Amino acid sequence: MADENTQPKKDESKKRPKRQPNKNYALKKRLPVKPIDGENVIFITKKTNFKAQLDKCCDLITRGEKEIILHGLGAAIQRCCNLALQLEILFSGTCQIEVNTGTVDVVDDLEPLVDELDFDSQVRHSSSIHIRIFRTAMLGANQ
Amino acid sequence: METAEFDATLGGTEHLPYAANSFKFTVSRSVEIAALTESILKPSKNKLVFQSLPVHMRRRVMSHNSKRLPRRLQKAHLEQVKKSGPLPTQKRPSRKFRRRPANLLDEYNRRQQRSVWLETHIWHAKRFHMTERWGHRLPYAPCDKAFRACYRGSSAHCLMQDISYYIPIQIKGALDTIREMFAKITSSLCGLGISAKAYVNGTRQGNIHLYGINTYPFNYIGKVQFLWVPSDTDDKNLWLFVHPSQVKEVESILLDLIPDKDIEKEGSIKKRRKLVNVEIKTMHNCFNRFRLTGPNSHAILVQSLKCINANYDLENSKWMSIHKPLYLEEKEEYWDTLVKAGSPAQLPPNLVVGLVVQDPRLSRPWKRTKAKLPTDSFITTNTLLTVPSFLSNSPLWDVNIHKAIKEKIMSNGQYIKHVTETQLVPGEVNEDDSALQSIPIVLVQRPGSQNSEYKKIGYGSGWDVIVPSGYALPFWLTFIMFGARSGGLRETESVTFESGECYLPPDSNAGKENEMRIEQELRDKYFRLPPSKRINYIKIGTNSPFICPWNILLSDWSNQEINNYFILRNRSLLNDIQDCITRKKALPKIENDTSCLVPVYIKLVGKGSLKNHAHICLPESHDLNNIKTLFEPHHEDPNEKIRKLNRTAHITMLKQLRKRNMRLRKKRTQISQKKTPKYVRRQPSEYVIRTRELWLPSKIKTVRNIASRQVMGYISQGAFSFTEACSCGIGYIAYNALNTLLSSKFNQVLVRNTSSRKYRLANIIIIQNT
Repeated sequence: MADENTQPKKDESKKRPKRQPNKNYALKKRLPVKPIDGENVIFITKKTNFKAQLDKCCDLITRGEKEIILHGLGAAIQRCCNLALQLEILFSGTCQIEVNTGTVDVVDDLEPLVDELDFDSQVRHSSSIHIRIFRTAMLGANQ
Repeated sequence: METAEFDATLGGTEHLPYAANSFKFTVSRSVEIAALTESILKPSKNKLVFQSLPVHMRRRVMSHNSKRLPRRLQKAHLEQVKKSGPLPTQKRPSRKFRRRPANLLDEYNRRQQRSVWLETHIWHAKRFHMTERWGHRLPYAPCDKAFRACYRGSSAHCLMQDISYYIPIQIKGALDTIREMFAKITSSLCGLGISAKAYVNGTRQGNIHLYGINTYPFNYIGKVQFLWVPSDTDDKNLWLFVHPSQVKEVESILLDLIPDKDIEKEGSIKKRRKLVNVEIKTMHNCFNRFRLTGPNSHAILVQSLKCINANYDLENSKWMSIHKPLYLEEKEEYWDTLVKAGSPAQLPPNLVVGLVVQDPRLSRPWKRTKAKLPTDSFITTNTLLTVPSFLSNSPLWDVNIHKAIKEKIMSNGQYIKHVTETQLVPGEVNEDDSALQSIPIVLVQRPGSQNSEYKKIGYGSGWDVIVPSGYALPFWLTFIMFGARSGGLRETESVTFESGECYLPPDSNAGKENEMRIEQELRDKYFRLPPSKRINYIKIGTNSPFICPWNILLSDWSNQEINNYFILRNRSLLNDIQDCITRKKALPKIENDTSCLVPVYIKLVGKGSLKNHAHICLPESHDLNNIKTLFEPHHEDPNEKIRKLNRTAHITMLKQLRKRNMRLRKKRTQISQKKTPKYVRRQPSEYVIRTRELWLPSKIKTVRNIASRQVMGYISQGAFSFTEACSCGIGYIAYNALNTLLSSKFNQVLVRNTSSRKYRLANIIIIQNT
């Protein structure tokens, strides 16, 4: 479950210079554009406790929601997949999974560090995953 | 054995009567029956009707004014009141009382002389605890228990605060002059300068740190928001928005910067003469500024602000004859594209949008509703990337129109009259009513957190709305009706804490004053407690529980007297220090390191709660292994005995005095002539002062070595952080102490609350966006 947390941290520091385009700019991130929100929509994050989000999904499904939709962006994709697979095991036979992948355009701001430059921005493409989990059997059939 | 029967017919001893006397039967049971009937008639429900309401719906006068209750409960409530006695007859208020509203205004004006009121004061005073701060009467916290609700507002919905107390200062002059002026009171190391290319064209709002004239890094004044008014000429117009605690300093320093030039002018240098053409004006009550925080703030603005376009009837907008707004259509078009954005954090950071909108009363819903955005389409990346140049242009910055706007304001009474009398359907609001003048406003985006490693992206993002004076309440109420939750000063503190920024840093005068005020409050509270309930701080090993003695801390760490200190704001250095902490490397050598404080964000590793003024301590080598059992040992309190002796001596003295007085009274000598007036607030007696000094010695010589672990710094704000889901704090560490910590190959610190002996382990992160 917590496999993705144990990745070596050194990779991160190696990658970082790549993203820093110029010494004269600081890279600032903006909020990505969100898909439609709702009661049964869960955005999987890296920061939220995995178990908590799993429990939330379980609650939603057992409460009688016909389908729940999980969204994962970038590094949270793996977590999103893990969570969906866990759910499939937990509700084995009563649930099915439908997976869609996509790309989200993320805007980064380049904040100048010297007085002579103006603000700038750049677009980064980030992979995303959208998992729909829907019930195939009636509620309470497996209980 | 014989069966013991009762009835005689069955062989027992007792002869039962053939008939029962019902009267006798009831009499013997009358007490029980009375008790039962009473309990049926008066069910012993120990709750009153209004107590069944949730706390936020209760009103103070509910118990004697049933109209304050929801209608469904009124009947039950009246019944309950009847039981407790006859209904109190409602007296017709006296003529004097009924005539009060007129007098009320005078009364309000009188009260405003003492401290400045915001335009929304009366609205706030009904719902908020008010405090006096910085010459203003400001809302502190809402009366309903809304601490968490306000956090939720700022992170998921919308929190709104009236920050009209920020004082605008207008600076007019040539760009070069202003640049030269500010070069003396700012440092390029702290971030972009005032005349940076990114800000000069006026599309974005900037922040700068102000210092005393040529005293960087000492004499910090504060962080100031500034805005350039877009113009093509070289004569520029700059607006500063200054916090009221710093406004006097900023004003005097800016004025100081001009006369300097006057003296130089005598040397007949032509270049210098130009410099005099800088005009500085402090504009009190010129604008109102509302701060909307949270993702839903965008939806609220979208719903409540309706842009006007060229075919709008401009007859009633008199101000437009003075200043014609430009690009109305383009702006409306752009605002329509922004509608699709889901949150203010998606838009360009610090964007300034000048709009001309309809009166907000026209778009107000009749019932409080939560504003929602249309979800059918998404904003295109292209609109997010480009900032059109016409956007930040606004007639609001033209001071000449303010009077014209003020004259044409339709008061609420007039508005209601207009709506009920002139409309086809009385009371129905025509959304394109042109009888109300249009209003120029300016929106300023705040990006919130932009670093996902520090705080969740977009936390604290929102819009600042600047509206002309006189229009505070119409806008405020519309935003409230669209679901904004109002907050006060406490929310300002908590939002800055949650987003990990420093609130009134202690190296500025404003911060020092704030610290002194808090110390006085806590001290008074401490000495109001009975001695048995007071924490004996000497026994815990804390000698300054209510204030952080930065001077003494720095003196202790540098072995020399330090009177002036500063907080490190040099961006590249802060970056380096963060790097050193993660790699456990020794710090770089800097100038003035003996009087330097480093701002740090403290995050507890395990459980535990952090409080204000907690100590940040230097761990020793074996501490990390036995952190669970690491306690400060008990200290001896040498004053305890002295206090006890003093107390007994004082009591005996009082006794003697009383006896003497009695004796004198018996002799009827006139000693009671000199009676002190009853309600004079007495100064604490010499005995009280002496005892207080024994509880908390005021003259502290050292703070570093008072406990078993050396004190490195203090936490100025510590609490449970909802964004981090653990206890966090914002504090400052002496630079030398941090160096000592890192040279012993540690990058974690110990933290101890002032009222506890337990040391806890914590991680430190450098605060970079001070």
